[in-house]
Amino acid sequence: MNFNFSSEQLAFRDEVREFLEDYRELDGFYGQGHRWPQVRAFFCAMAERNWLALNWPTEHGGLGLGHVHEYILWNEVARYRAARNPLAAGIVAKSIMRYGTPWQQETYLPPIRRGEMHFSLCYSEPEAGSDLAGLRLKAERDGDHYRINGQKCWQSYAQDMDYLWVLARTGTQESRGRGLSLFIVDKASAGVRVSPIPTVDGDQLNEVFFDDVVVPKAQRVGEENSAWSIIGEALADERHIQFPPGRVRRDLEDMVQWLNTQRMGNDPLVRARMAELAVRVRETEMLGLKVLESMVNASNATVDAAMNKILHTVTCQALARTVLDLGGPEALVYSHQPERLWRQSLTETIGGGTSEIMRSVIARQRLDLEG
Amino acid sequence: MDFELNEDQQAIVEAVDRLLAQQAGPARATALGNSDTVEGSYDFALHSALDEAGFSCIARDLAREDGTPAALEAALIVEAVSRAGGVVAAATQLLVAPALLAEPPAGPIALCTRRELEQGTPVRYLAQASTLWVVDEAAVTQHNLEDVAVAPVRTSFGYPMGRIEATGNLHSVGELHNAAADARRWWRVALAVEATGTMQAALNCVVGYLKQRRQFGRAIGSFQAVQHRLSECAIQVEASRWLAREAAYHNAPEEAAAVAAAFALAAADQLFTETHQLSGAIGFTHDFDLHVWSMRLLALRQELDGVGGARRAVVDARWRDATP
Repeated sequence: MNFNFSSEQLAFRDEVREFLEDYRELDGFYGQGHRWPQVRAFFCAMAERNWLALNWPTEHGGLGLGHVHEYILWNEVARYRAARNPLAAGIVAKSIMRYGTPWQQETYLPPIRRGEMHFSLCYSEPEAGSDLAGLRLKAERDGDHYRINGQKCWQSYAQDMDYLWVLARTGTQESRGRGLSLFIVDKASAGVRVSPIPTVDGDQLNEVFFDDVVVPKAQRVGEENSAWSIIGEALADERHIQFPPGRVRRDLEDMVQWLNTQRMGNDPLVRARMAELAVRVRETEMLGLKVLESMVNASNATVDAAMNKILHTVTCQALARTVLDLGGPEALVYSHQPERLWRQSLTETIGGGTSEIMRSVIARQRLDLEG
Repeated sequence: MDFELNEDQQAIVEAVDRLLAQQAGPARATALGNSDTVEGSYDFALHSALDEAGFSCIARDLAREDGTPAALEAALIVEAVSRAGGVVAAATQLLVAPALLAEPPAGPIALCTRRELEQGTPVRYLAQASTLWVVDEAAVTQHNLEDVAVAPVRTSFGYPMGRIEATGNLHSVGELHNAAADARRWWRVALAVEATGTMQAALNCVVGYLKQRRQFGRAIGSFQAVQHRLSECAIQVEASRWLAREAAYHNAPEEAAAVAAAFALAAADQLFTETHQLSGAIGFTHDFDLHVWSMRLLALRQELDGVGGARRAVVDARWRDATP
């Protein structure tokens, strides 16, 4: 057993930190919806070091580095609050590398690697959230094309993205997960409409409507009706960087700093509550590393990731809520540090798989409970 | 002992519910801008309607023979206003004011502690109130806000808030001697009653949704794990309701008032978490009414030092005279 990073990995971490010093004020992790041009420029700057393709194989233009480097990179980016890892370079690119045609690899991977092409994930629908296999967006074959009709819902940042990564039904409704296919859809295609859903945090989610959108067959990724396993594998690829503990560590540091500015840091009750949270943050860091360790050793990280997701997101919320409570009415003012943190943590236990789904995964796969 | 409302109380609740059905509700609350990250506004129309219908002075008008205010009836009205998402200072007007003054001032009253005033802390309804009551150690000082500059505060917690930019223009127009303890007791009862009505509405909203919303081929509300969590919420609301009503019925004894607030404000946290978690993504959108009530639950938890303050008050009330 070894809990340490190697000296080479630590040197890489220092290099990342040095790079991120220029982006201390970017605030793209929480504020991407309000500063996409700056976040996009940040990704381009990362791409100059080929960091968006850090663990892509070299034959696809990547650096060929492993999971640990990828974890270190995105954990530091989260700790600096610079950005969330882009879906294009992760889920999308890795699926294209694994299942895409040579044409798709040549067309999409280079601009993704350069930070020039970004995707919104179009999975959930109004009636298919946790029950994703029940989705209804229909893609019907029409010669060399598909015609896509229907609606997606709850898409983050779709307003700013260039392309859509669309999960659609190509089989019967009864075929559930066995009747789904993946498509790359240019957001500028005729018939695509993105409509904002204002959220209580002053930001937005989106609905995406497809009205007879014509998509060439060449933009289907993988075999028809084979998407379920593709999206599962893509998810597995990203488990170690989906919920990096650097974000929670930074939340704790910021909240302690805010309490000190409010001259509350010496209050024994405040100290006791923050100490409890500090312990939880450390737990989060350990579970984050456990996910990484499973990935490095090619073990199934599903359960580790589910545990990490719950602990990570609940800790985020506990931190924010505790400081909101401690801060009194002042903490309710829009954009004050605790209010902002609270706002940003609101949906964490729902997005990316709800806590309830994660608990079911743990019950079934770790505890062998039926159901 | 009888926890049922008597005929008069039932008639009062039905009458105020009828008025609120026309003049309040989530759409009205949202239209007033208190559900967005902006400076919201006060529902002066509802305030006047409650005045004109005689609900605002019910505590005095139905006072008992010994002169004690009809606080339970007032609490029932405040609970109803909270359920309806009313953006009015009914809790202060109906529950706190009658306990302090035979003839409370007209118009919205804002309530804060001396420390909050000195620190410039945001106060609920301050930007729209005509009167400010500052709760001191012993006394309550009364201020006319007409010539005082109050800055609206941008917040997304369901109530309009404001803060006094400079206290230089703030002059006391009266002092209620030895009224601070009474004010704190009734303030806590008011918070418990408001939290109860607000929690009930939030729970109703989500239960209704979960009966309709289907995933995995069945209504989400039919899953046992979901039912258990909703049931826990129902227990919290029920207990909050009876603790708050009992405290009002007995005219806010120090310990009962503190217990009611401590319980209801702690329950408010659980209700916020569970109603949002069980609603999923729609719960965070303006398309779904939950936010009208849920956000307020967190705001209520901040007043008068919140749960911690209420718990300390429980300890003070019970063990103040105990020698270590």
